[in-house]
Amino acid sequence: MKDSLQNNYGATFKRSPVFYILTRIVILFFMIIIIFPLLYTLSLSVRSPDTVYSARYFLIPYEFSLQNYYDAFFYAEERLKVSFPRMFLNSIIVTTSSVFLIISLSIFAAFSFSHLRFPMKESLYNVMIASVAMPAQVLLIPLFYLLIYFGIINTYTAVILAYAGFLIPIGILILRMFFEQIPGELTEAGIVDGASDFQLLMRILLPLAKPAIATCVILLFLDTWNEFIYAMIFMQDPTIHTVPVGLAKIGTSRYHINIGTYSASVMITIIPVMLIFAIFQRWFIAGMTMGALKH
Amino acid sequence: MIYKTFQIKTLLYLLPALFIFLVFNVLPGLTSLALSFFDFTGFETNLFKKFVGFDNFVKIYEDKYFWIALKNTFLLVFGAVFIQTGIALILSIFIFFGNFRFSVLIRSIIFFPCVLAPVSVGLVWKKILEQDGVLNAILGLDFSWLSSVSLVMWLIIMVNTWQWIGYSLVIYYAGLQSLNIELLEASDIDGANWSQKIFSIVIPLLWPTTILNMILNLIGAFRAFDIVYVLTRGGPAHYSEVLASYLYYYSFAAGGPNKMGVGASVAFVIFACILTIALARIIVSKRIERN
Repeated sequence: MKDSLQNNYGATFKRSPVFYILTRIVILFFMIIIIFPLLYTLSLSVRSPDTVYSARYFLIPYEFSLQNYYDAFFYAEERLKVSFPRMFLNSIIVTTSSVFLIISLSIFAAFSFSHLRFPMKESLYNVMIASVAMPAQVLLIPLFYLLIYFGIINTYTAVILAYAGFLIPIGILILRMFFEQIPGELTEAGIVDGASDFQLLMRILLPLAKPAIATCVILLFLDTWNEFIYAMIFMQDPTIHTVPVGLAKIGTSRYHINIGTYSASVMITIIPVMLIFAIFQRWFIAGMTMGALKH
Repeated sequence: MIYKTFQIKTLLYLLPALFIFLVFNVLPGLTSLALSFFDFTGFETNLFKKFVGFDNFVKIYEDKYFWIALKNTFLLVFGAVFIQTGIALILSIFIFFGNFRFSVLIRSIIFFPCVLAPVSVGLVWKKILEQDGVLNAILGLDFSWLSSVSLVMWLIIMVNTWQWIGYSLVIYYAGLQSLNIELLEASDIDGANWSQKIFSIVIPLLWPTTILNMILNLIGAFRAFDIVYVLTRGGPAHYSEVLASYLYYYSFAAGGPNKMGVGASVAFVIFACILTIALARIIVSKRIERN
């Protein structure tokens, strides 16, 4: 829809052959730079162990084999004491519970910011906005001791609560912005009909906020699925390692690891994300752009 | 506003989220500032036993690797703010005005690395940059890229840019889509060529988006830890350490000094940097509003 408009814009640039050729060269160059590293890793991972160091034009294997993937699964179980399926299960548990917790609490809090009154509302909101810019590492040391104090270090709960504390402000920011854009006539009509504040939120605001919640879910999903440092330090027990932590252990291990096994391990973490991205790409881009505009 | 005054039941909506935010964000944030004045290791239970005043700060002040980490952090921020934003600006204009048949596909591909874990991205590039890696094979060199003290930080900037360029690109693209086309049509009638249009009309009109991108990249670059951790672990000999990885090294790394108090004082420095930048931004935007 938006892209058909683009042709009108482009029209003012169409007559210049220099611009035409320049754009093709530059974009092609960057496409190669973006695609090559991923294709190369894929290529390494599907070479047979004997031909892993050579390929036609650096990319096309002489001999295809899925042996490396088999080795990667074996290596993880043997050296890390945690299998890839288990890592994925851990990541799924941590990600879904923290996203669910953050979204549900943010919906109610954002509603109180957008439609209700309470003292110090705007100052509290400003504190939340300010906290969004803080790097996660600032909280690392005190959080570590806090989680020990609560006796939940080395459990899923530790990381879920740490993520919630860190990401709830983003959820509130996005949802408040969206709730406030919903026309006042709709809520007023609800009030005239005698809806309580809870009904107002559940029956009027939430159904309208579905797209905002979807983009919020994607933004939070990416932040928690890819998160590394909290997951590494708050869940040191190997059996509950998430995908990035397990992969980092494989990739930076001091033990010798075959380059094919290494690449297969990396691809195991990339391929599922690639498939999900291929299906929901518009949502991913919208989600991350929305996350940006909150600032 | 549903109610004209504050109602107690409003707290039911607010408190659960507020409680988690305060306990797991504000409380540790403030504790972190306090902890930077104490000396403790990872095995102690009473953290506030040994008050050392500014000793931790003196320790990092005298450590040359702290200054390297600080310099590297600013270098990474510089790369993200100027190089990444600059390239994204060019790419977005080229894709937007270039009449590409597959512009959606091109954008999706450039955007794709943003959804990957920085750990995966770092490991992909690690093998490429190694001495027996494909970069040397293509260039016909035998060079250990990640062991080069002078180059290593620029390689980290490159990998960071590679991952996040698509993010800046889609934000620019959103800016371009809301551009006022009438000015471009008017310039067409006046006979402006493509470079004049880009430099005199498009780029100035995109200025607010450029500022937004610079701020986002700045915040993002301050956070970068994962890529440094998997690519170099701060090496060779701490020359690619950034503040975040320096903090990790001092407080948590196996074989590191395990001095949590020093780590907390590094966190204090990061906190101060972000706070200064945030305040500067508020002052600048207030001044712009006034004019």
